[in-house]
Amino acid sequence: MATEERSAAPHLGAVEQLGEEPDFTVGTPPTGIPGRARTEKARRVVTYAVLLAVSILFFVPFLWSVSTSLKTLPESVGFNLIPEHPTLNAYRQAFSAFNFDRYFVNSVFLATVVTLTNLVLASIGGYAFARIRFPGREVLFLAVLATLMIPDQLRLVPLFIMLTNAHLIGTYQGYFAINLVHATSLFLMRQYFLTIPKDFEEAAKLDAAGYFKTFSRVMLPLAGPALAAVTILTFQGTWNDFYWPLIIFQEDPSKFPLPLGISHFKDLYQTLWPQLMAASVITILPIAVIYVFFQRYFVAGVAAAGVKG
Amino acid sequence: MVVVAAVSAAAVAASGQGRSERSVAPQATQVSGNITFATWASNPIETKLLDRFLNAFRKKYPKIKVNHLTFEPGYPDTMLARFAARKAPDAFYVNMDLALDWTKQGVVQDLTPYIQKYHYSTKPFFPKLLSAFQVKGKTYGFPKDWSPLGMETNNALLAKAKVKPPQTWAQLKSAAQKLKDDVPGGRPICLSNNWDRLMAFVYQNGGTFINAKKTKSTVNTKAVKGAVDYYVGLIKQKLAGTPAQLGVDWCGEALGKQKAAIVFEGNWVAPYMKDTFPSVKYKINPMVRNKRRGNLAFTNSYSIAKQSKNKPAAWTLIAYLASRPGQKIWTGSGLALPTRGDVTPLARFKVLVREAPYAHPYQFAPKFSKVLDVSNNELSAVIEGKKSSQDMLKKIQQTANDALK
Amino acid sequence: MAAVRTDRVEGGRSADVREALVGYGFVALPMAVFIAFFIYPIGYALYISFFDWGILGKFESVGLDNYTRLFHDDLFWRSIKNTLYYTAGVVPAQMALGLLMALAVNQAIRGRAFFRAAFYFPSLAGSAAITAVALYLLSSDGLVNTILGTDQPFFGDSDTALQSIMALNVWTTSGTIMLFYLAALQSIPTDVYEAAAIDGAGLWRTFWKITFPLLKPGHFLVAVLSVVGCLKVFDQAFIASGGTGGPNYSTLTAVLFLYRTLFGDFEFGYAAAAGIALFFLIFFFTAVQRLLFGRAEVGH
Repeated sequence: MATEERSAAPHLGAVEQLGEEPDFTVGTPPTGIPGRARTEKARRVVTYAVLLAVSILFFVPFLWSVSTSLKTLPESVGFNLIPEHPTLNAYRQAFSAFNFDRYFVNSVFLATVVTLTNLVLASIGGYAFARIRFPGREVLFLAVLATLMIPDQLRLVPLFIMLTNAHLIGTYQGYFAINLVHATSLFLMRQYFLTIPKDFEEAAKLDAAGYFKTFSRVMLPLAGPALAAVTILTFQGTWNDFYWPLIIFQEDPSKFPLPLGISHFKDLYQTLWPQLMAASVITILPIAVIYVFFQRYFVAGVAAAGVKG
Repeated sequence: MVVVAAVSAAAVAASGQGRSERSVAPQATQVSGNITFATWASNPIETKLLDRFLNAFRKKYPKIKVNHLTFEPGYPDTMLARFAARKAPDAFYVNMDLALDWTKQGVVQDLTPYIQKYHYSTKPFFPKLLSAFQVKGKTYGFPKDWSPLGMETNNALLAKAKVKPPQTWAQLKSAAQKLKDDVPGGRPICLSNNWDRLMAFVYQNGGTFINAKKTKSTVNTKAVKGAVDYYVGLIKQKLAGTPAQLGVDWCGEALGKQKAAIVFEGNWVAPYMKDTFPSVKYKINPMVRNKRRGNLAFTNSYSIAKQSKNKPAAWTLIAYLASRPGQKIWTGSGLALPTRGDVTPLARFKVLVREAPYAHPYQFAPKFSKVLDVSNNELSAVIEGKKSSQDMLKKIQQTANDALK
Repeated sequence: MAAVRTDRVEGGRSADVREALVGYGFVALPMAVFIAFFIYPIGYALYISFFDWGILGKFESVGLDNYTRLFHDDLFWRSIKNTLYYTAGVVPAQMALGLLMALAVNQAIRGRAFFRAAFYFPSLAGSAAITAVALYLLSSDGLVNTILGTDQPFFGDSDTALQSIMALNVWTTSGTIMLFYLAALQSIPTDVYEAAAIDGAGLWRTFWKITFPLLKPGHFLVAVLSVVGCLKVFDQAFIASGGTGGPNYSTLTAVLFLYRTLFGDFEFGYAAAAGIALFFLIFFFTAVQRLLFGRAEVGH
């Protein structure tokens, strides 16, 4: 029962502690040495300036995308960040040019299912590789890592033949089958479970908990940040996935996710930049929302102050 | 049966051609079935046109259900996977680059039996274009449309410098010298660092890449070197710039942004300029010449899969698409140039169609995709001054000979 | 610290067997997926690498000819060289930048939510937009050149093309690395920081002597994913060079070589041989990393 009281990320208290100091040096007494406060302020200003500069650098593509999406095609070839005659024309076209709402629903469907299956299978598999002993464990784990080493292009033909023979081309099941769990997710979960002290499992054992109960009641709640990372990466990866939906859903446009619809705007000889950017901007919003929501688990936004020591 | 024949005869008679195209395909009442037709998508206008085109076909042959699939992007990859899985579409486009390889690999159907059975005349097709899809005398596809290279010149800039569109290599050079000061960056010609433009100049100098029998490469010769030195020379003398040097993706963009006054592109530049740079006025001129006239043809075909389970229906489709009435619909709006001499092109594209006798398809032999990659990489090395044209040609000849073995 | 097993009645062996069975049960479904959709294609590639194999199947058996030909293919070796150069440059940059950003954003500084979003943004946005922006900004009269007062066509010059792609990738993937490190940072126990504070350790010492080593499982994760991702680089090389690997072979990466062999010349067997060679190269790197810092398990 002691285990249930632990918060999702019990170690976060320390981070909050670090952050609440008026100066950034841990353990240094804040008073008593004149002049120290001024260098601290200078340091902070520099830090913020650097962070801001880097942020701007990283944010520029998004600003450019939004700006282009508000222009007309002739104007989109220019450099100006502010469109001269902003127009929502591209957005209107993005919505009407293809079945935007249908593709949006498909994307949500695909991303949600794949994220859920990954969360379940990666966490249970990752836990086993981290904490359960079975013969051949290391070899099997190497095999898992090996799956990362084969390029998609080389997998295309054998997988396509396999899926064709299994009548899975053009079906959602086919897409889900090959995406049930990704090695990256499992790898991430394993590494995270490795860092959790064994005391928790031992406590569970004392309470006569079986393996599955230990996993679901004790370890899983402790894995918040890792689960959040898997959620963000898998949702986003599936949301932006273009290659495999292209291969699998080719024959059935009613199953297209958004990236396939957007590629509509980039044909062989011509890129309709405003429409492409408008569609991209709309497409980014949901995954941006997912990111913003789940990345809270990375830092103690919610005060874990009660769990110090 | 009589109705169909009468309709085609009437259409033919109306155009005054006087040649009857009777029964080029199984009669409308006889053929039925479901077929898939796979294409890529060049631009949205073309997609709409293709829809209209297919609807016209469906009206004429209501018993044939055509399922049109668009594989864009990744058309070659997708087709490859389907061929490998024995799930190929019945009819499809074939890119000129891949035609020889797909034929050699045995995925494209030989059309000769159908041509004979239905007395389909292939005479109206421009011979060089049709030959791009013929191997050992057998036909594997009908060219659907094409374009050669034209020389596009910026009206305002040429007028300002009082220069007439050049017709020979010498005139091209002197025109560039006069135009130098009128473009930002001082390089009035845009020359792509790719053999798919350079090759036209090679033909103009009497050179070839491989011999007619396709047994060995002929690229390491004086004629080819002369062309290369002229082409690269223009760039090195700063009379011309590559797209990268001009800060654009391709020469069409240079024309539109008025960074170049003379570029060499095909008819694909027209919809691009119209949509993206509507205010820039330009003219399409014939290609320049040197010892002789030489140009490149870029074309694609309608073909049938060898694996197809409904070849008669697929044949009906491509026979219609490539026929005279079919091409009239397809090329009528000026999006593409007809591949048949008996279809009149739009007035402003006549200058391009007149290049047909000198336009060699930019295509050589199976397994040449790596050879062309090497050729383009070597060319960029020469342009950067890291290699001599002699060494480049030696290397290319060796690579090409390996591929031709 | 051995676990105290008080509930073992039967004896050591059957509890081990039970544990093993549970282990297999937990990993059964994931392993099935990996074997079917990854290991099988590797086996398939290995098989066809011994043949002259076309679109529709085998032409003839050629034994080791594909491998011998690969050995003498200077395009292949050039692609390997480019890929290794690329990896050696990108991996340290990505890891350092990702870690720095994770540390920065882990502090309770003002506006950290904004910074977290900003740093992650290039990873979030689709690669089409990012590559387009990069081609734009780095064109010979683009923003970067205007600021520097030069006219260098970054993607069009064999001396700078690959380096530009490297910078582009560091930019787009360091956000993801940041994410991995953020998750890893959460697992460092509170006591450790408190002990360091009591001992009077400064910020830098705390980081270097305590935080950094404790991130070992995170390092392994990041290093492996980073190296593997770099050795497989394809998309940007393809887009920036139009598929040729130019200019002057500078952007010809291993996977691009494979792609051209497969989809350009349709030599499936030869491409498979290249794929197998690349696979073993990546495997070698991963095994080395595993030896270096993959084995240690915190809390063991």
